[in-house]
Formats: sequence, structure tokens, C-alpha cells
Amino acid sequence: MTTVEERLLPSADPVQLVDEHGVRHDNPQYGMPAPEALVDGYAQLVVGRRINDQASALVRQGRLAVYPSSHGQEACQVAATMVLGEQDWLFPTYRDTVSIVSRGVDPIETLTLLRGDWHSGYDPYERKVAPQATPLATQLVHAVGVAHAARLKGEDTVVMALCGDGATSEGDFHEALNFAAVFKAPVVFFIQNNEYAISVPLARQTVAPSLAHKGIGYGMPGERADGNDLAGLLSVLGAAVGRARAGEGPQLVEAHTYRVQAHTNADDATRYRNDAEVAPWLERDPLKRLDAYLSAEGLLDDVRRGEAAAAADKIAAELRDGLMQEVSPDPAELFAHLYATPTPQLKEQAAFLQDELSREEA
Amino acid sequence: MPYEKLTMAQALNQALRDAMRADDTVLMFGEDVGALGGVFRITDGLTAEFGEERCFDTPLAEAGIVGMAVGLAMNGMRPVVEMQFDAFGYPAFEQVVSHVAKMRNRTRGKVTLPMVIRMPYAGGIGGVEHHCDSSESYYAHTPGLTVVAPATVSDAYTLLRRAIEFPDPVIFMEPKKLYWAKEEVDLSVEEPGIGTAVVRREGGDATLIAYGPSVPIAMEAAEAAAAEGRQLQVVDVRSIVPFDDETVCAAVRSTGRAVVVAEASGFASVSSEIVARVTERCFHSLAAPIRRVTGFDIPYPPPKLERHQLPGVDRILDAVDTLQWEDS
Amino acid sequence: MSGTQTFLLPDLGEGLTEAEIVRWLVAVGDVVAVDAPVAEVETAKSIVEVPSPYAGVVAELHGPEGSTIDVGKPLITIGTLTPAETYRQEEKAGSGNVLIGYGTPESTGPGRRRKPRPSVASAPVTALAGAGRGVPLVVSPLVRRMARDGGVDLRQVDGSGAGGVIVRRDVEAALSARAEEPVVVEETVESRTGLKELQRVPMSGFRKAVASTLSRSRREIPEATTWVDVDATELLALRESLRSATDAGPGLLALMARFVVAGLKKYPELNGFVDTERQELVQYDGVNLGLAAQTERGLVVPAVADAHLLTARGLDAEIRRLTTAARDGRLTAHELTCGSFTLNNYGSFGVDGSAAIINHPQVAILGVGRIIDRPWVVDGQLAIRKLTQLSLVFDHRVCDGGTAAAFLRFVADAFESPSSILADL
Repeated sequence: MTTVEERLLPSADPVQLVDEHGVRHDNPQYGMPAPEALVDGYAQLVVGRRINDQASALVRQGRLAVYPSSHGQEACQVAATMVLGEQDWLFPTYRDTVSIVSRGVDPIETLTLLRGDWHSGYDPYERKVAPQATPLATQLVHAVGVAHAARLKGEDTVVMALCGDGATSEGDFHEALNFAAVFKAPVVFFIQNNEYAISVPLARQTVAPSLAHKGIGYGMPGERADGNDLAGLLSVLGAAVGRARAGEGPQLVEAHTYRVQAHTNADDATRYRNDAEVAPWLERDPLKRLDAYLSAEGLLDDVRRGEAAAAADKIAAELRDGLMQEVSPDPAELFAHLYATPTPQLKEQAAFLQDELSREEA
Repeated sequence: MPYEKLTMAQALNQALRDAMRADDTVLMFGEDVGALGGVFRITDGLTAEFGEERCFDTPLAEAGIVGMAVGLAMNGMRPVVEMQFDAFGYPAFEQVVSHVAKMRNRTRGKVTLPMVIRMPYAGGIGGVEHHCDSSESYYAHTPGLTVVAPATVSDAYTLLRRAIEFPDPVIFMEPKKLYWAKEEVDLSVEEPGIGTAVVRREGGDATLIAYGPSVPIAMEAAEAAAAEGRQLQVVDVRSIVPFDDETVCAAVRSTGRAVVVAEASGFASVSSEIVARVTERCFHSLAAPIRRVTGFDIPYPPPKLERHQLPGVDRILDAVDTLQWEDS
Repeated sequence: MSGTQTFLLPDLGEGLTEAEIVRWLVAVGDVVAVDAPVAEVETAKSIVEVPSPYAGVVAELHGPEGSTIDVGKPLITIGTLTPAETYRQEEKAGSGNVLIGYGTPESTGPGRRRKPRPSVASAPVTALAGAGRGVPLVVSPLVRRMARDGGVDLRQVDGSGAGGVIVRRDVEAALSARAEEPVVVEETVESRTGLKELQRVPMSGFRKAVASTLSRSRREIPEATTWVDVDATELLALRESLRSATDAGPGLLALMARFVVAGLKKYPELNGFVDTERQELVQYDGVNLGLAAQTERGLVVPAVADAHLLTARGLDAEIRRLTTAARDGRLTAHELTCGSFTLNNYGSFGVDGSAAIINHPQVAILGVGRIIDRPWVVDGQLAIRKLTQLSLVFDHRVCDGGTAAAFLRFVADAFESPSSILADL
């Protein structure tokens, strides 16, 4: 007979199946994922890392307005989608580009928001990926609605709702978790705790023992995992998704990771933290440790590494080519997507702009 | 040497500094305002000078920030809070409308809230979604709030000082596009306070009425018009609530023609209000209807299309052209 | 600097193995951006620009111009900045990349960059189909009021603006064309006289306004009149002498006006108003000279503003302009009301003198009658001279008879001997 605390509170230490040196640690509750999954995951990490770095470079070349990178957090990004089925939904934030691409959304469409062509570039229904949310935590409440609708329809959808440590302070975080719990909605709230909300460190965001501990306040189980350990994440998130799918209600998972780079390219992190703090986390890099583990297990050789690198090169080229092209959005679109039927006022304004553009000197 | 070249960001920073030096009940808090000094550096160095009890970071929760400010103001403090971007102030909207705006009224003047909510607003910075909204109309429409919109570096200083000293809550709209605008200013000079509009440029043919980031654009339009032989007067509203009817109407009466310029989408906006009240008061002086140059009634566009939304020199001059000149 | 990056000469195509550096486009110490061209190299077929893949400061150029570099060997080394360093540089320079976007755009040049709209009528009029004649469409409240003040019924006016909008011209035309149409009344016998009414003429707004001013003048002003006969022979001669084949010269009225203005400078009591509230007699510094003009509507008295600053020629031009404007009904309210003194030339009516009504709130009016040949005594001999009568009606509150007579004498002397008056002009 488990107590409420045992059932709902997270493990004393974050779940970790592969440590930073690539050494395996077994866990009674969470089994090691299958080797194929880890090898596949490794390849996705390599691609994800390259997406982050190529996109960051493209900002410097003026091809993107901004790029909030998930460099160092790729294990979270990839695990979040690997555990989902086609019928499931992903609710990403502005930092989850890698997650969205690994879900199968076209990379250029994914970057439309950050390139500045439009506010969202993909059809959410194609891969069941909600538009990237800029305001924090607001999308969590939407996730609950989607999950609940699925339940009402008798579908076995699970919604993976992503957010960061900062977002857990917003009122919408509280309201989303509470609603999800009361309605027993099949949502996995996945907090990527990278320890910073722009410049504000976790210690100023909360003094809860961990963010996963917040679950018990809603009657929701909370679990914590090493956010740089793909194996541990696959296991923990997989279990959470499984429980939600089985009708056990929402789950809260906290991944402990770190925002190795600044908030975006236009942030000077030296103002609020020093390099000494960052250094140890470079050793905890998710690619490094998985490479070490898989190599030791004989599951990763240079051929496989070469294949992963080739895939990464391919996607990097895709990004460069796609973003180098000068595609100007059509101003007429500004008036096109307000209502099912444009109002007379909008038609007037659209005509006004058309007239202006026709008089533009070359 | 009283004159110095300052950016608006520096002027705001100086205003906060001087206010905090002058009165130790003044607090400055919000997200990333402490060690980082604010994402636009407006609060740069304040924690270093005044310590973390007076300038500090909060958890990421706008309703919490404003709600906490209400409590602090109720109990002897003068809180100045920052909403990191105007659109991220929406979670706090209920606190603002239901409590900040209503407390004096609710308690018949027993409880008053001397507090300032600073918001970087408006566009023109190529920002992605949600970072370029102009929400001043919502606040202007809420009785009980004072809404201030500086357009110049020296006004940024003066009006922020006045806002902090004000006995009632002030929504302080900071035109983020102009944070890097530089002017030579003498901060010791008393500029007009809250509630006063100022004529920035004289001209006898027509009056441009603008506030915030639209004022420099209006000035540019006036320069361009002068080259075409038309003299435009430019009025800087400065204070949306309370609105300076007298100055604005005197200006419009002197020319008989007016165009209101503002970024926010036009329907049910501050510019609508300006047109209505000026028309009511100046009807018989008008040679033509008052025109508005505002944003379209659409969500603020993505960066690549933003230039179509913003009032520019051409659109303003086109509007001036429609002021029935052939009937002179 | 946080590090350096060395750019190796890439394969520029066509299986190249080496290329000659034709020209360096940067020097050591230059700041380069990504994709900025750094060198021109010559391949077998053409000269190619090579862009830098790194941003930073040029640290080393691996070969002088004219030298040859193998593909895959170092071409240029660039000292790169960390993202934070780059961002700090951008921040200092002005907005650069902001946290969430591209930053502020470059300012475009001054002036318009878009062709102005072709001038269409500005009134945004949509004719209401099938609507009855509601409130007539008028271009502006100003014009609407013009009509109201002038007693013009807008429903009777045809608008010449787009969509039938009534514009200023239309109201002005209506005002000047508006005749007082007499109404024939049927067989009404007026009781006091026992006579039948021939017709009744409604008083227009204009007429009412004039009647009111005239009545007020008589009611409030204790006026007195003084007159004198004047030998204007010399004045007429002067006028003719100023006429030539190429230049008509100032007219007679302009010359008279010039003398009157000069006279008012000497006798400013007659150029002012009575401030009854403050019990003060105000004298103006400067003259707005009113001149009576007969129009179809009636007598109007527009004033030449700042007449004291004009020469005779200048006065002449202004007088002509105002007369034309009066006939066309285009006088402004200001022109009609700003006068400080009135010169009333009624000689064209064929009369000599007149006890005119002062144009309230002015304090005097000088009348000039017809100029005709009369017998006069010159140097003890009878002669036929050009005689005219000057009548000065003045508000006796502002001065006594002596001053009034002196002013009248001054003007008379000016008419009789223009050259002698020159000394005091």
C-alpha cells in the first residue's frame, strides 16, 4: 500500500540511467530503453544539435530574427517526441524547435516564426503540434482542453505539454495543472528546468524542493529526471505517457538540465552568471555521454556516427538553403486571416494598402 | 554642465535612480530587472546602487507582480514595476482593472495607490509575435488610471519622475523603438508635467496630433511637407489620460485641419477618442473632417510585414492631402 | 577576441587546385561580417569574389596580391567574437538585434517615397440611394455657418462638389446672387395710411445685420458733422500726371486714401474706439482704412489692413482687389470688420454732402462728394475749378470740434495743394 506521498512525490534524486561519464545505472522503477531506441535517439540528438548550431549561425547572418537555442537540452527535446504516438499532441514553447522538427514538422516551416514571415509556419493538425507559444504557460491550459476533448471523443490521445522553469511561476501553470487533475486529463506536463528564465535563476523562481514536488498540490504525481540523460528521459516520459493513456490522469515530469547558452543570441549572459558555473554542464552534455555509453555497449561505431553526421549535414544544408532564399510574405495576407468572412472594414483597409503599394516608388 | 547627450533608456535609468535617491520608499521590481538590469537595460545598475531590497527580480508572474505592488502601495511604499513587454502585461490585466484602477474609488479615498507600471510598447523593432503590441487603449478606457506616453528623451525623464511622485497609479508607456534615440538634454529643466500636451512644431496649414513613437514620425512628415510647401503643426499629446483638451484644441483651431497619428489599431482606440473630443469642441473651426492614421484592425504583423502596419511619412502626407484644401 | 578561425581556400569549382590572389578587399584589422567579400581570386576562367564565413576582425592574410594559393590551404585568418561580445557591440551601436527580433530598421531618407494619390474630390461622399432630401451635404461646418449667417437656405443650393456636396463657392455664389425678392401681397390695406401694400421685401440676414449696426451707431454715438468745400483741381492734375502710356498710376481714390491715412497719423483721436467698459478712449497705432463699396447685396465696407504701411500705389492695388472681391461676394469676415476709419466716396451718386452714419465701433467717417466744375476765386479772380465737398462725421466723445476741423483741414489742404503737403508726409 503506497502512501499519497510515495505515489505523488518525485524520487529523492532525479532518475538517471546513464551518467555523465556514460556509465549505466539501473533503476528499480524505470527500465533501460531498448538499444534500438537509444541508437535512434543518438542520431536524433546529433541532428538536433546541428539544428541548434546552424540556426544560431543563421541569426548572425541576418536570416532569422532571433533563435532561442536548446543547445545542451537536446535530450529533453528528442525524448519528448520519441515517446509519442501519431495520435498524440505536442505543445511546444519558442525554445522547442528541435522537438518540433523531430516530431516531423518541416524545419523551414518550423522556423517561420523566428524568421519573421508569419507567426506560425506549419499546419498544427498535420503532426499534431500546436503553434510555438511565446507567452509563458498560456499553452498549458490549451493542452488540457485538447486532452479533455480527446477523452470525450473516446480517443486515446496523450498531450505532451512543454514549459520551462520560469513558466511554473505563472498563474496559468497553476490553473492548467489544477484543471488537468480535476478533469483527469491525459496530459504530461514536461518542465525543462534549465535553471534560468532569461537572467533569473531558479532560486528566485521558487523555493519548492523541486518543481516536480508541485504535483502533489494538485493530486498529480510528479517525477524528476536527469535532463541530459536520454535513456532516463525516455523511460520516465514513456512511463508518464503510458499512465496518462491508461486513464490515470495527468503527470508532471521535471527534467533537470541547463541553458548552456544565453537566452537568445541577443542576450549577454555574462551580466548575471559566470563561465565557471557553465563549465561543469559542458561535461554533462547529452551527446557526449550517450556516445560514450553506446560505444562501450558496442552499439555505436564510426559507420553509425558517420550516418548521423551525414543526416546532420543534410539538415544543416536544408536550413541554409531554405533560409537563404529571399521570400517576402504577401502584405495582402495581413487582412486575410481575421474572420471566416472579411468584414467590409477589412476589405476597405486591404484596398487602402493595395493603393499605397501601387504608388510606391521603386 | 547641464547639457548631456542621453538615450531614452539612459534617461529612464537616471529618472529611476534619482527617484530612488530622493525617496527610499520607491521600489523597482519585475522580471530580469535586477542583475541583468532589464532586457532593455532600463534598470541597469540599480541593484548595485540600492541593494536587492529596493531593486529586485520576482518570479515570472505578472499578476503576482502587479498584485504585490498593490499591497506594497497600500502599506507605505511607492512601487515601480515593469511588465517586460506590453503584451506580457495581459496576465496582470485583471489586477490592473479590478484593483489598481478601483482602489481609491472603492475606499472613498481612504486607500490610494501611488504606483507606476512601466511597459515597453509599440513596434518598429522587427520583433516576433507579442512583442510589439500597443495596448494603451485598454488602459486609457479604464477610469481610475493615469496613462502617460513620453516621446522625447527629456520627457522620458521628467514624466517618469512625475509619475513616481504622482499620488495615483500611472501606466507608463515607454516607446521601445525610441529607447536608443539620443538627444542633448538638460535634466534640471522643469518640463511640463502630467496632463499637458506640447506643441513641438509650429505650422499654420494643418495639425498633426501624435503621442509616443508616432511623434518623431509626425515631425518627419512635417519636414517633408514643408519641402512640398505645406506647414504642418505637430502636437505631442504626452498625457493620454488626463488628456489636455485645451492645448490640443487651441492648436486645431489655429489651423482648422487635423490628422491624428498612432500605431495602435484604429477601431475603438485612443485616436478615436481624440478625434471625437476635438471634433466636439472645434467643430466650427474645421475646414475638413479630422483624419486618423493608425494601424489596421489586424493583429500586429510579423516582422517582415510590420512596415505596412506602422504610420509612416507617406501615409501621413496622403492623409494631409485629403483635408479639403481645394475649399480654402 | 576569444579565438581565431582560419578560412581555407575552398574549391571554387571546375576541379580547381589553386588560385591566384588578384586583390585583397580587406586589410589586417578590418572588421568583417559573415559573407562579406574578402578577396578576389582568379581561376582559369574568371575572377571570383570569396566571401568570409566568419565575422570578426581580420588577423592575417595568407599571401600577398599576385601570389598563388593551393585549394585547401589557409587563405585568411579572422579573430572571432563570442556571441556575447558581438551582442554587446551591437547593443552599444544602437538597437541591433533586440532580444526578440531583428531590431529597428534603417531610417529611410527624408520626404515622400510614394506617389501622391491623383487628386480626387476629398469628400468621402456616398450618396444614400433612395433617401429623401435630409440635411444637405456641405463640405465643412465653416461653410454651413457661412450659409446660415448669410441667410442662405442650403436646400435651395446646388452643390458643385463631388457627390453633390455644397462647397464654399456655391454658398458665396448664393450669397451674392441672392436678391431680395419682393413678394406681392394681395390687396392688403395698411390701416394707418389707408394705402394698399405694394410689396413686402423680407429683410435678409445681411440686411438685418446692417440695420442693427446702423441703429446701434446712431443710438450710442453722439456724433457731430463738419464739412468744407475743397478745390480739387491740383489733385486731379496730380492724378493725371501720374498716368503714362505704360503705367495707369494710382487712382484718385488711392491718392485720397493716402492723404487720409497721413491725416490720421497726425490726428489719431479719430482712429480708434471708445472702450465704454473701461471708460477709456483708445487710439490705434496703424490704420485699417475702410472703403465703402456698393454691391448687388448692398453697401459693404471692407478695409485695407495696415493701410499706413502702403504707398499710394499699394493702396490702389488693395482697393481694386477689395472692390473686385466685394462684387464677387468673396470678402472675408476679417476684411469686412477690421476697419478703424472709413473713407466714403459717394460722389458717384451725384451728391455733395452727407451726414453719414459712423461705422460702429469706429469713431469717424469722411465722406467725399461729387467733383464738378464750380465757380471759385483764385488769386482774386473768378475761375472755374474742380470742386468737391468733404464731410467729416465724428464721435464727439473722442475729440472736440477743433481737432476734427484740423483733420478735415489737413485733408482738404492735401487735396488743394498736394505738393505742399509733401513736406509733412
